[in-house]
Amino acid sequence: MLGFIKKDILMVRGNIKSLATILIMYGLLGISENMDISFIIPFLSVTIMMSTFSYDSYNNFNAYSSSFPNGRTNSVKSKYLSTILMLLVLSIITITITLLISCFKHTEINFMSFSNIIVTIPVTLIILALFYPIIYKFGIEKARIAIFVVVFVFTISIGLIIKGINSLNFDGTNSLINLIFSNKYILILLIAMIIILSVYLSYRISLKIYMKKEF
Amino acid sequence: MENILEVKNLCKKYKNFELKNVSFKLPKGMIMGFIGENGAGKTTTIKSILRILKDYTGEVKIFGLDSIKNENKIKEDIGVILDDMFFPEILTINDINCIMKDIYKNWDSDLFFKYIKEFKLNEKSQIKTLSKGMTKKLEIITCISHHPKLLILDEPTSNLDPIARSEIISIFQDFIQNEECSILLSSHITTDLEHIADYITFINNGEILLSKTTNEILNSYAVVKCSEKEFNKIDKKDYIRYIKNKYDYEVLIEDKKEFTKKYNIKVIDKITLDDLMLLMIKGVK
Repeated sequence: MLGFIKKDILMVRGNIKSLATILIMYGLLGISENMDISFIIPFLSVTIMMSTFSYDSYNNFNAYSSSFPNGRTNSVKSKYLSTILMLLVLSIITITITLLISCFKHTEINFMSFSNIIVTIPVTLIILALFYPIIYKFGIEKARIAIFVVVFVFTISIGLIIKGINSLNFDGTNSLINLIFSNKYILILLIAMIIILSVYLSYRISLKIYMKKEF
Repeated sequence: MENILEVKNLCKKYKNFELKNVSFKLPKGMIMGFIGENGAGKTTTIKSILRILKDYTGEVKIFGLDSIKNENKIKEDIGVILDDMFFPEILTINDINCIMKDIYKNWDSDLFFKYIKEFKLNEKSQIKTLSKGMTKKLEIITCISHHPKLLILDEPTSNLDPIARSEIISIFQDFIQNEECSILLSSHITTDLEHIADYITFINNGEILLSKTTNEILNSYAVVKCSEKEFNKIDKKDYIRYIKNKYDYEVLIEDKKEFTKKYNIKVIDKITLDDLMLLMIKGVK
């Protein structure tokens, strides 16, 4: 599996100049416009991971790698691990840039930016967890349209969930919900569990699809 | 003789195409040429053997083991070249070594770079900068650098000039020197196969038409060239297929010796694999 992760990393390295340019551009924007740059995590991670799928598909690497020992399982597993690895790296880079901006502008460190970055990671992970089974099912080209639909449904669902939560009665009749929202540790634990479960479910679905796939 | 690969009654259905009970055996230490026209079922057979295609029936045994139950174990010892399927072209030759050493337990970086040097490839080159011939050489080097016991190669010499082809063929010959390894090689370039293949398996329209030793085919089969009058004297049982040309008949026969004893026809040409393919596909039964 390490071989597959290396492959993804080496492919990203091939585009390192364009990625660095994007990061520098947003860094400069952050300095001049006082902008929060945490949004580059989902933006770049989706771009990077989609490009790895595109390269694999363009050169029929998926079929080729199916002839390797454990090729199919390792291919899927490594995509999820590469994603987590990439999110961590991007977070470190974004935090570093945020710190550099503060140093450069001689301002106090904006902890709000850090919390935004921390929130962005699980959200991106959930989005990619939604994307991957679709990509494995339809292939990267056809999946693009399906992804738009999923993003649309996902956004609407989140909106409805938030609306539903806001309309809930917090006066003690919904004691469980009150407990969850009044205790941030329970909330964090709950969110972490939802994320882990979503990623795991996404992985199992992707693997099931990919194991049956014919090239 | 111990078989390294056994394919038995392999069937695979598509909307417009079907593999029908494909069966053949590849003994240890031998090279088998797998021939047939485009769309005959060569790649479908190879992909089924490798389980790149899954929804098939029949039995495939590799190294004496069932290919489904022992898939991962078997794949450690197989080297593969598939037509138009390889690493993403953004990667370099060095990257391939870096990746493959974590894919195969027996990956041999020294052997990989020995061949890279021998073929004068630059290890820092990205795949996309290599010519078609160079890419093919890289694919071949990649497929043999983990010391596989069986090579399954789909059109490995296509797009190569005669010199590159001869270099690659000599690698294949080296590969089977120890008599423990075998090669299943599909190719359109039948002249190459006449030189290196010990066995020929011929597939047409999803069916195996013949699977014999190359010597048996080249020494026993022949093409009779005769007039219409002579052709009419030949018993239907004594030929396999014929083609009616403008001025003569070309008749494919299976047993040259028996035929010469029985008929007094002078022009009996030695067969080539190209002749065999042409007569088997285009000829009338």
